[in-house]
Amino acid sequence: MSKRIFQAASFTPTATADGSALASATYMSLEAASATQILNVSEIQCCGQATASAVNIMQFARNLTAATTPTALAAPNGDGPLSGASAALAAPPVTYVAAGAGPQRTNTALTARLNLSFNAFGGIVKWFANRGEEWQIIGTSVSVAPSSLSAFTGGNVGLMGAHIIYEPL
Amino acid sequence: MSSLKRHEGYLIVDHSASPGLPADVARQSGYDPRHCGEGRVFEAATLTCSHCKCTVVKNPLRTRDRTYCSKCDHYLCDVCAMATAQADYVHVPFEQLAEAVLRHAEKSAESPIVLLSP
Repeated sequence: MSKRIFQAASFTPTATADGSALASATYMSLEAASATQILNVSEIQCCGQATASAVNIMQFARNLTAATTPTALAAPNGDGPLSGASAALAAPPVTYVAAGAGPQRTNTALTARLNLSFNAFGGIVKWFANRGEEWQIIGTSVSVAPSSLSAFTGGNVGLMGAHIIYEPL
Repeated sequence: MSSLKRHEGYLIVDHSASPGLPADVARQSGYDPRHCGEGRVFEAATLTCSHCKCTVVKNPLRTRDRTYCSKCDHYLCDVCAMATAQADYVHVPFEQLAEAVLRHAEKSAESPIVLLSP
């Protein structure tokens, strides 16, 4: 299938401890549409938009607890195919920045997390995976699949934008 | 054995127009603090562990052995490396875990999935 970009134009993360529900509009979360869908995350970029120095300890990590009732994305946030020729997906992945109860970041040592700390006052952080080395989201089991970009405890978080490039298989 | 560099990802933390990160935050994130200050750009290779798919920032100054799994032909993160040293360790690459999850999901879509430790 074709690659897609999930992007949030501008949001201020909140420093949140592992295992605590993330507040709406402070994170970006990505889940497979079904128990058999696989998503390969190949690129994550965070761009600072703060007007004063602000350390954002961003982490892309597995969700320990899934969100309940994710809210559909609304402009200016979005999720769409990189190629304009892509056919619409029968089961599009679930991407959201708000939910009835937000997801909780994993607090276990043996689940993956990617640390993307940067200063949101002009800083940029970007991670690319090599082919075959992508961050995989398989099915819907927590601690194996759903993943979110959010701010870890610490820092004095500031405004930022971000995108996540992924491919449903 | 072919070069393991083929597995490497790429991380860039650009503070060329930013005050940058404090040294403690940079260290916590696995960055080199000398390259994360004001006006600096930090670039590094990243490694993805084949057992848990955790991505770690490669430290080029590391002197300890970087654990290599001959069954996967791949590097492991330190957490999984410790697990492989246990007496009762059973080799479970992430792909095997993925297959188990998918197989279980296909067989019983309604029942809860039993997670295997990577």
